[in-house]
Amino acid sequence: MEFAWNESEEAYRAELHEVLSTLPADWWESYAPHGPSSPRLMEHARRFNARLAERDLIVRHWPREYGGCDASAWQQIIISEEMWSIGEPRSSLYLGTNWAGPAIMKFGTEAQKRRYLRAIAAGELLWCQGFSEPEAGTDLGNMKTRAEPDDDGYVVNGSKIWTSYAARADVMFLLARVGGKGKGGVSCFIVPMDTPGLEVRPIPGVHSRHDFHEIFFSDARLPADALLGEEGNGWQIVQAIIHYERIGAGRYEKAARALAHVVDVLKARGEFDDPVVRADCAAALAAVEAARLQTYLVIDGRAKDKAPGAETYLARWAMIQADHAVANLSSTYLPDLLVDGADGHLRAQFNSAITAGIAAGAAEVQLNMISGRHLGLPRGA
Amino acid sequence: MDFDFSSDQQALGEAIQRIVADHRALPRTGNIVEPRTFHPATGLEAALADGGFFDIAREPGFGAVEAAILVYEAGLSPLVLETGASALIAPLLTGEALPRPVAVARLADLTRGVRFLAEARTLLVDLGDDVAVVDMAATAVAPLDGPYAYPLGKFAAVPDLAAARRLGSARVGELRRLWRLALALDIAAAMQAATDFTTDYVKQRQVFGRPVGSFQAVQHRLAADAEKCRGTYWLAMKAAWSGSALDAVLAALHAQRAIAQVNYDVHQFNGALGMTLEHALHLWTFRLRWLVGEMGGYRAQAADVAALAWPDAPRKAG
Repeated sequence: MEFAWNESEEAYRAELHEVLSTLPADWWESYAPHGPSSPRLMEHARRFNARLAERDLIVRHWPREYGGCDASAWQQIIISEEMWSIGEPRSSLYLGTNWAGPAIMKFGTEAQKRRYLRAIAAGELLWCQGFSEPEAGTDLGNMKTRAEPDDDGYVVNGSKIWTSYAARADVMFLLARVGGKGKGGVSCFIVPMDTPGLEVRPIPGVHSRHDFHEIFFSDARLPADALLGEEGNGWQIVQAIIHYERIGAGRYEKAARALAHVVDVLKARGEFDDPVVRADCAAALAAVEAARLQTYLVIDGRAKDKAPGAETYLARWAMIQADHAVANLSSTYLPDLLVDGADGHLRAQFNSAITAGIAAGAAEVQLNMISGRHLGLPRGA
Repeated sequence: MDFDFSSDQQALGEAIQRIVADHRALPRTGNIVEPRTFHPATGLEAALADGGFFDIAREPGFGAVEAAILVYEAGLSPLVLETGASALIAPLLTGEALPRPVAVARLADLTRGVRFLAEARTLLVDLGDDVAVVDMAATAVAPLDGPYAYPLGKFAAVPDLAAARRLGSARVGELRRLWRLALALDIAAAMQAATDFTTDYVKQRQVFGRPVGSFQAVQHRLAADAEKCRGTYWLAMKAAWSGSALDAVLAALHAQRAIAQVNYDVHQFNGALGMTLEHALHLWTFRLRWLVGEMGGYRAQAADVAALAWPDAPRKAG
């Protein structure tokens, strides 16, 4: 049993700090509060990701043949912590490093690996995720977007919704139905966003006008090699990568740093001597550290090549609780700092916390999974 | 990072699990469990003592993590056994094997109620500025009855501790750290056992033609409780490993804050059966009722978390 970072992990974190020190001086004011899908942050991400790539920092945990350094899975959580906690300056590159890349490694053809994995390692691809549909959010098995086979590929029709990053992403990880109803008919595709017949429309979000998009496919033609894995095994791919997705963002670290900032402000205002305030902050810290440890437990299993289990869902649920605990502190004790332009650091964490229980599978789905896979409770009628 | 136990720790845990399993039968009259608020673990205590497990923290190469394994595993038993003070707090605080059972208390608790005080042979007292080690051989303690699954006792009046051995002011912080660690482990174990017991029950018990545990309203609450159990466990194990005062008080805080919801849920899901002494649920939940207030309850832990995590000098922002 060992709960400390080793020398190489500490050195990796220090290298990341060096690159993070190059962020614009007005990062917290002008970039982070608007989220990693904002146009300004996404454009900046292309330059920032190139700086990470110059030092081989993006996918140290990947095999060398795909652009990594054969480092342990711990290095992935380190970069996730460092980037997510400051507002994810990589933007949606992290979708590629956290789960799209691993999915391609596991299920992709050699040509797909050559085309995409090196590009992710080089920080060149911003991703979006074409999963949710108007009638299929949490219930992904109900999706209707179809990819009909034709002579030399597929023709896609349908729509996706609530898709982050889509307006400026380079490539989409798409779920579409090739076969019949249910999960068995779902297939995965990798779709360049400049594909003719693919249209992106923004949906103004509660925190940003650039958070969400609707994507329409109108006879969008995909080549046969856009298919990832085999027809109809999309659900299997999703199940394989879902453990990477659900704890991929270091939300607890972002919450931890926001909490430290909350305490600093409360001290500066002379309001941290109140025992109720101190108790609330302490409880939030405990929630953050419980989420951190349960996330690390999942990473420990991954580093040892253990099959992922229910720990992922426990960790995600803990992460959601921690994120909200800190966001609730901000809105309870420092509501004036959450207005536009007041405190970008708190605003960034507050804005992202509301997504914690929705993104990467609804919180209630995590509880369903814990019920079934951890507790072994019987399915409902 | 490595969340797995070493091979020695794994073997230790498995050995303790076997002993706990061999000695977990509740005393019965005929087929009926004797109706008691708690059942002392006499056989378990003797078996663990014979195996030298109470001295595990003082074995070369072993320490707090190994003692934590014992406290947690024994705490899962429906039979109540004092391990936290005997196997973890006392040996790591004093370096000695003090006569067992060992009770631990703040000075103010002595006339209110202390776990295991009525049967304790040694008492550790947090005096605020010192730690007293009291030989209980010549003291008179009144046992207390109540809705708690621990043997409780109290002094009629504050005892004269002038003759008691003192460990010095420098050991007060260490006593509190170890006590909080033991407290978090006791809570983690009792919550886990109560949740496991309830999970088994709701898989079997039918209502409206379905198992109780097939209703999502039940599943989601038990799932959230399961996370509280695991979160508390890992905070406690990290605290055992690190020796950090902040880690220990964070674990105790998280543990005590979790109790109200877990206790409420498991009793709801066991229904009227959980109100009976022949059903085992109370053997853990009535421990939690006491543990929720030990060491001043979560507000006291929270105050110390704040003091340790955010000392007076302002932190550098960002």
